[in-house]
Amino acid sequence: MPATAPAPRESLEQRLRALEETQRATLNILEDFDSEKARLEETHRAALNVLADFDEQSARQVVTQRATLNILEDFDSEKARLEAAQQAALNILEDFEAEKAKVAATNVELSEEVAERKRTEQALARHTKELARSNAELEQANQTLRQRTSELQAVNAELETFTYSVSHDLRAPLRHVDGFSRILVEEWGGQLDPAAHQYLQRIRAAIRQMAVMVDELLHLARVGRQELRQQVTGLNSLVEEVLRDLKPEMEGRQIEWRIGSLPFVDCDPGLMKQVFANLLSNAVKYTRPRPAALIEVDAINHNGQPAVFVRDNGVGFSMKYADKLFGVFQRLHRAEDFEGTGVGLATVQRILQKHGGRIWADAELDKGATFYFTLGTSESIPAEEPAPESVRGEP
Amino acid sequence: MRQDEVEILLVEDDPADVELTLHALRNNLRNQIYVARDGEEALDFLLCRGPYSSRSFDHPPRLILLDLKLPKVDGLEVLREIKKDARTRAIPVVVLTSSKEEKDLVNSYRLGTNSYIQKPVDFDQFRETVKQVGLYWLLVNEPPPKALFTP
Repeated sequence: MPATAPAPRESLEQRLRALEETQRATLNILEDFDSEKARLEETHRAALNVLADFDEQSARQVVTQRATLNILEDFDSEKARLEAAQQAALNILEDFEAEKAKVAATNVELSEEVAERKRTEQALARHTKELARSNAELEQANQTLRQRTSELQAVNAELETFTYSVSHDLRAPLRHVDGFSRILVEEWGGQLDPAAHQYLQRIRAAIRQMAVMVDELLHLARVGRQELRQQVTGLNSLVEEVLRDLKPEMEGRQIEWRIGSLPFVDCDPGLMKQVFANLLSNAVKYTRPRPAALIEVDAINHNGQPAVFVRDNGVGFSMKYADKLFGVFQRLHRAEDFEGTGVGLATVQRILQKHGGRIWADAELDKGATFYFTLGTSESIPAEEPAPESVRGEP
Repeated sequence: MRQDEVEILLVEDDPADVELTLHALRNNLRNQIYVARDGEEALDFLLCRGPYSSRSFDHPPRLILLDLKLPKVDGLEVLREIKKDARTRAIPVVVLTSSKEEKDLVNSYRLGTNSYIQKPVDFDQFRETVKQVGLYWLLVNEPPPKALFTP
């Protein structure tokens, strides 16, 4: 029997049944063989008997001898058939062995598969447990977040009230001091000596200063709360607008402006204009002692990101105090030299932070100052960066 | 001063502000100004009720200068009542306040104020502003016809 192609496991029983049948058939053949043999012996005996009767039956003997030879021939062919049957049985046994090995292999594979599945199930159970734990942690975190949010909302509401209070309540007494000191000058000025007039003037100057501070502080708070109204804006147009606004401050001054090509950026144009208004008016203010002021506005590539700078050749400041530059009410100059409230750069920083950008400065006392700023977040900006002197390569 | 001859109703709780405002209007219209010191008094006056029940709707003030932060009934509430009532709706209201908060501006205009002015801290500016407001609404502006106050 030819070897069969690898059969699926289900047909194994069929094969075994076939094998058994073949074996039975073989046994039958063997049995047949035995009976044939017995018949042969019987024929032999008959032949002997026939030989005994030879003399009288010589003609029949020939016939019988021929029959005997025929029978012997039959016997040989029967034997060949038997051998073929045995060979077939052996083949079937061989197939059976191969099949058995295959089944064993399949069984091994199957048990491996079962073990693997068990391991997967265990891992799944473990992961499910971990997931449940993570979920619980997440829920906890969410809870905390909700609590923080409501706390934050409460603080914001408080801040709102505070800001409103400052706006409304602090301005009123300032107005009163200014009003009554003014009335004093107008109605009793004639009875006051010049020193008294001086003091009254200083009272009013202080009031004006404080009013500006209150307004700027409120403005700073408002910038913090305000939603950004972003749109793509050409920064050059903002600079031009600011320069027009600055004209009165520049009267009688010799200032050379070098304005480079600035990028178009996605920003709140109103707030960005305030950034330029602040930086440019600072540049104008702090170059006042220079007979020929030079103010540059340009863009550079800072760590692969566009950065804008405003550079002046003014009085500058010592980098020792650079960390105070952007603090509220922090000033690096005396009020009698350069007027100001110390809120401007804090507001600028707040605006840039709201845009996801940042500002930093580089300066030298009596040489000038450069303010750099970026818009939009960038991980590539190091925590403390040196002022870029030239265009940097792409990151 | 007869209450029916009031030209400007100043609704202001702060005595210093009252004095400075009156000072600013001196030589102009001072004699026809009536001061209400809180929102309730302003409404009683305008709606001719309570202590002012003897007043008549036929003689409304020609201008209301309204502070927003007031005791009892605040300025926005006063504004709402004035503009809700057909008998007072046509009286010009100028909000005159310390605040320039956006929400105050929005609310005031939403409730129908005719003008909104932040009191300048500088007294010269304050005086000039108040004077101009008085002159504009009392002299330049054509007042609403009487029929509007007797619906």
